[in-house]
Formats: sequence, structure tokens, C-alpha cells
Amino acid sequence: MKGKVFALGVLLTAIPLFAHHGGTSLYDMSKEVTLEATVTEFIWTNPHVEIGLDTKDDKGKVRHWILEASSPPVMVNRGWNRKSLQPGDVMKVTFNPAQRGGSVGRLIKLIKADGKEL
Amino acid sequence: MVERCGERLKMRNRLCWSAVWSLGILGFISGCSAKNAGKPISQVPDLSGIWLGKAIQSLSPSDPTAQKPGAEGDIPYTPWAIARMKAERPATGRNQTFANTTDPALKYADPDGYPRASIHPMRFKIVQTPDYIYQIWEYNKSWRQIALNRPHSEVPDISWFGESVGKWEGDTLVVDSVGFNDSTWLDPIGHPHTEDLHIIERIRRVDPETLVFNFTFDDPKAYTKPWDGQLAFKLKTDGIMTETIYTISDELRFRQRFLNEKPTIPIRPSH
Repeated sequence: MKGKVFALGVLLTAIPLFAHHGGTSLYDMSKEVTLEATVTEFIWTNPHVEIGLDTKDDKGKVRHWILEASSPPVMVNRGWNRKSLQPGDVMKVTFNPAQRGGSVGRLIKLIKADGKEL
Repeated sequence: MVERCGERLKMRNRLCWSAVWSLGILGFISGCSAKNAGKPISQVPDLSGIWLGKAIQSLSPSDPTAQKPGAEGDIPYTPWAIARMKAERPATGRNQTFANTTDPALKYADPDGYPRASIHPMRFKIVQTPDYIYQIWEYNKSWRQIALNRPHSEVPDISWFGESVGKWEGDTLVVDSVGFNDSTWLDPIGHPHTEDLHIIERIRRVDPETLVFNFTFDDPKAYTKPWDGQLAFKLKTDGIMTETIYTISDELRFRQRFLNEKPTIPIRPSH
């Protein structure tokens, strides 16, 4: 899979789809990053669900990310379950990056290879 | 703090199991009661079901996203309450801080108490009997009992969720609650209260799909006069009740992964 940054946009307002453990003090809500990624782990856990992802840059260098989703009950209300993602799943994922940098983010949405949006 | 957190965790686990057993016993007693002080369920509105609310951050009607805490205009703070608002560091709202929050529910994994338990975007179930109404939350698997047509205890205990009694007034359940532990916040932005907090709720199913709680908060040490708030919930018919139990062990692991914080105690290994 060719890794590619689809968008790094600055939004005037950001309306979160999910309630998150850490809010604007952890994540830069004014930025959205969209990447093609492969799931490495999907942890259905408290306080919030975690998604591990690998992306590749144009030179094939792998970068590992971890994204915070919402808590399991909120995810259930949005149609997720603990098997919604599997390691190896390929998707386009959009998230707010962490304020402190690093490969950490806050999930906004993801589109699986079959076009299904979660 | 570590020992304190550990003790709180152990205590909470004990309380959770105690709550499960107590609820079962109370339900059994209620179902078998020969003396039915309340009206038959068929003669009162049906509030039972699973209800889902929205994620608000403040009970201030004018500021549900908590953009101007302490200066909402519709909350009549005393100087004591304003000082508390300024001193707290909530993990939500305009000036939020997650890493160094003073929110007791996040810092110590304290129970939310009431009405904060209903402010998560999660579900609760209402179980209705002639003599008692039970509200059971997904979050932390907590619950409260509303005893119908009874007075308060002579000396109400001080507890996380308070002591609630209720009665029907037409199509509205009127609930009177006292005896709240003053270490809880009313909402995620940190509206404070004392042990003198007195909550009057008017609960009404305004349409088949919508349950509305109108609150009046009366607490003279914290607020110069009673003030009102409202929460609304939508009916869910899929029968699903899941759980989120907020634990120190999960929180330490989260903070290590997402904030790069060194755990203050060894993290429980995953199996």
C-alpha cells in the first residue's frame, strides 16, 4: 500500500463525532490528518478504544500511530463492536493529531477498503 | 496518592458487588411485597426502558459546552462557589487540562454521583415497580433507587448518589433528593455543591421517545438562590446495555500510551 497524506487541513470549527477521553488539551482540533493505513491492533478497552496503525511514506518507511476512539458504549451506539477492525485491515483514517506531536491522534472517522465508513 | 487510589479501587469493587446483590434483593422484596403503597404501574406513566442522552459539559442552560464557566449568567454562585470554580481544573470546556485535571472522577476514579452520572453520552435503564423506581447506568454500572410515596430518612446518609424519594403528580414523577457527598461535581465542568445540596427533579415522558428531567438545585452555601437545569434522553429499543468501568489501572495504561506518562504504580498486565 502506498502511504499518502490525503489532507492536512485547518478547520474553523471541529465538531467531534465521538466523545474522547482527552479533548483539546491533548489534541489539536484545528487540524485533521487523513492517511491510508493498515490496522496493527484494535483494543476494545476502557477508558477508550485504541487503534494501532501503520502508514508508509513515499519511500516505504513505516510509521506507527495510535489513535484514541471513544468508550465502548459510545462506540456501540455508533455501530461498532469489538470485532469491527482486525489487524491487517486497510483503511483511510482521519484524526486530530496530538498537541505534543508524536504519532498519536484522536479518531474522527475511518473508511474501510470496502467503502464502509465507521 | 497511590495507596489512596488502590484503596479506593478496592472499595469500589466491593461497592459494585454490594450494589449488584442489594439491587437483586431489593427487587425481590419489592416484587413480593404484600403492602403495595404505590399505584399499580398500569395507572401511572411508564418511564421504563433504556434511555440515551447527549454529551454536554455543563448543566448551565445557556452554556452546555462550557465556554464560560463561572460566568454563565444563569447560575447564581456564592463567593465560595466562584472560588471553587476558579480553583478547579476540569478536563473539558474552554480552558481544559486533561493531564493535570482536578476532576475527582478522573483523578481518583471517584463515582460521578448525581446528576453527573446521567451526563455521559451513554445509556441508563429505568426499572419501574409500584414502590420503587431504579435508575441503572452503563457507566461504572452504578444505580440509584427512588422510593415512592415515602418520606426521607430521619437522618439521611451522605452518599455518592444521595437519597431520593418520589411521588407522582399527574404525568410527572417528582423526585426529592438529599444527602450528597460534597466531593462530587454536578457536571464535567465542575459546578460544586455542599452536603446541603437539595435536588428537586420533575421527570416526564414528553413523548413516547423522549424522557425529560427538569432539575432545581438548591444549595445555599454554593448558590444564592435555586437554579434550574435540564437533561433530555431518547428511547433505545435494541435492549443493549454495555459497560464502561473507569479504573485506575486502565487510566494509567492510557496515560502511558497517549501522554507518555510514567505509571505511578505498576500497570496491571493484560492477559
